[in-house]
Amino acid sequence: MARNPIPAPSRATMSASGSPQGFLHQTRRGFLSASLTAVGLLALPAALRPAKSASFPAMALAFDGKALLVAGATLSRSDDAGRTQSTLPGPDGILALATHPERPGRVVAGLASGRVAISQDGGRTWKDRVIGNGEGAVDTVTMSAGQPDMMYAAIRGDGIWKSEDAGRNWSLAMDRPWLDNAERDLRALASVDLATGMGGIWIYAGTDTGITRVPDCFCRWQDVQPGNAMDALVAGDAPPPEAPLPSGEPVRALAGAHTASETLYAALPSGVWSSRDAGVVWSRLTSGDASAVAVNPIDPEHIVAALDGGLKQSRDRGTTWFALSTS
Amino acid sequence: MKTMAVVLATGAAATAFVVAAVLAEQRGGEAAAQDVTFLGEPVTAEEIALGQDLYAANCASCHGDNLEGQADWMRRLDNGRMPAPPHDETGHTWHHADRQLFIITRLGVGGVVPGYDSDMPAFKDVLTDEQIRAVFAFIKSTWPERQRTFQADVTANDEGDS
Ligand code: HEC
Repeated sequence: MARNPIPAPSRATMSASGSPQGFLHQTRRGFLSASLTAVGLLALPAALRPAKSASFPAMALAFDGKALLVAGATLSRSDDAGRTQSTLPGPDGILALATHPERPGRVVAGLASGRVAISQDGGRTWKDRVIGNGEGAVDTVTMSAGQPDMMYAAIRGDGIWKSEDAGRNWSLAMDRPWLDNAERDLRALASVDLATGMGGIWIYAGTDTGITRVPDCFCRWQDVQPGNAMDALVAGDAPPPEAPLPSGEPVRALAGAHTASETLYAALPSGVWSSRDAGVVWSRLTSGDASAVAVNPIDPEHIVAALDGGLKQSRDRGTTWFALSTS
Repeated sequence: MKTMAVVLATGAAATAFVVAAVLAEQRGGEAAAQDVTFLGEPVTAEEIALGQDLYAANCASCHGDNLEGQADWMRRLDNGRMPAPPHDETGHTWHHADRQLFIITRLGVGGVVPGYDSDMPAFKDVLTDEQIRAVFAFIKSTWPERQRTFQADVTANDEGDS
């Protein structure tokens, strides 16, 4: 298939405030918008216009076991919490990384080229996989908490695709969520091993306008609500307390703690936030322009975040933070 | 096709069962009444037949004559709402417990997701509880064994919770 010669964006040019203007602005109705572009993009109805993204994550982070993978201008791996690191021959234009505690060595990368790349050896060698029609960047990827061979990837301007066979075959699973009267691109995905009450477990998603979630049967996007909201509604009780993430801010990364499914971390322009109740009540752990966050599966107290363009870590679940030491 | 499967199965001879099972397999579903329960009660062949008519009269306009759902049902409509999904094995109906299916049909999707906007009507003033049960007796009888077993597990877990 003929593909547009889209230059892979250099990570160095994608600062947290950088705008990806003119880069891969296609939608799933790509054929439609592509043909209409000549006529004039402004004539498109809002839902068909490519979403304007205010900023890119400066980096993607993931733990492969206790090894930290950092995708920036290059892909690097550190097996000693940042003291020493080696550069890996990763694919170009990594926008997202995902790993699974039960599949050491397996790393999935979402690419600006609209593909995913999969490594089975901790990021040393990679295989590209085609997903969708390759017309939108793969902004985020994740693996199901309970089924590591089940992968999910979000394509910009399109929706969530899933693979049940560890990335070999992909199919559309769900359109993008509808929030504040528009379809929203997905910046972050996290499979959260908590029962939905409707069969299956939750997939949480970060968008440009906050957080949302969908059961892993992909029946419908829905707001994060306290588990007993429905019971309270029926009983006429006062709704349980909620402290949502600041409204209107993009949620650029989400990470769950494998050992405690209710625990979530989120990277926002206002800082790193966490929730201990699956996203109902959030509190800010540290301020700063956060673009990525990851939890060490071997030591869930250990959190690493991309903050203000650098890397910081916490050894106490986010209470205190210090720079990641690099040699 | 359904009546044929039922007739063959109720023939009770082991060979007839095998033939029915093979036919059902080929068609991707159509279980005999004794393989289907709804809300813990086994359904009858009469309920399945009644449900088929009720489905055609009340649900097929959106969910499809053959339970196939609206065209392009994974893609949102321009108004932001989702089209009607299939009720066959290609959809996600079989991911939900009987109780949820019953509530969604009585009250609309808002009955399980507070405040959710959708085109799924509430049938509580249109169909009796027995008629809703018959519709699901029919829908569930069309599922292949894998989906039926999966949904039976989800339903059992759901009953364990409440
Ligand atoms: C006017 C169109 C319309 C009719 C008629 C209709 N439905 Fe629906 N139904 C929908 C739509 C649209 C949805 C998807 C709602 C959503 O998720 O936003 C839906 C969803 C559902 C669901 C949830 C499926 C899932 O997996 O989450 C069930 C169950 C359902 N319908 C049952 C029925 C039954 C039974 C009937 C007939 C008695 C019926 N519907 C008639 C439009 C309709």
